[in-house]
Amino acid sequence: MNDVMTAIRDVVSAVLMLSGSLLAVISSIGIHRLGSTRARMHATTKPATLGVLLCGVGAVVQFADVSDIAKVLVVVILQLVGAPIGAHMLGRAVGGK
Amino acid sequence: MKLVVTICLVMLVIAGALGVARIVRRSTLGDRAVAFDMLTSVLTCALLVSAGYLQDGLLLDLAIVLGLLGFIASVTIARFIEARNGTQS
Repeated sequence: MNDVMTAIRDVVSAVLMLSGSLLAVISSIGIHRLGSTRARMHATTKPATLGVLLCGVGAVVQFADVSDIAKVLVVVILQLVGAPIGAHMLGRAVGGK
Repeated sequence: MKLVVTICLVMLVIAGALGVARIVRRSTLGDRAVAFDMLTSVLTCALLVSAGYLQDGLLLDLAIVLGLLGFIASVTIARFIEARNGTQS
C-alpha cells in the first residue's frame, strides 16, 4: 500500500515538474525567435507564473513537512503577484511600438 | 525519480543558458530586463525541483529571496527605462 502511494506521488510529481521545465525551455526559445520586445515578453511572462506554479506543486507532492509546504505556498504566491506587476511595468516602460 | 529530476534540471540549464545568451548578446535594455526576468523564474523553478527531490527546506528560503529579488529588479529597471525616456508617470 505504501509502495503504491509512493509510486503515485512520484508519477504526479514527475509530470508536474517535467511540464514546468518544458515551459521554461519553450520560453527561452521564444525569447530568441520572436521579433519585438513585447512579443518576447509574451513568451516569457506566461511560463514565469505557470512554470513556477507547476514546479511548486510538483515539489509540494514530495514534501511531508507542513512548514515546507507553507514555504512553497509563499514562493508561488509571491511569483503569482510579482511577475504580472513587473511585466506590466516593463511593458509600459518599453513603449507601445 | 532521479532520472526525472535530472531531465528537469538539464532542461532548466538549457533554458538558463539561452537566457544568458540573450542578455550577453547585443540587445536593448528592455530585452535584457525581459531575459533577466525569465532567468529568475527559471532559477526559482530549478530550486523548487531540487528542494522537492532532496526534501530540503533550506532551498525554499532561497527561492523566496530569489522571487522577491527578481520582482524588485524588474520594477527598478522598468522605472529606470521610463525615467530615461522622459515619460515619467
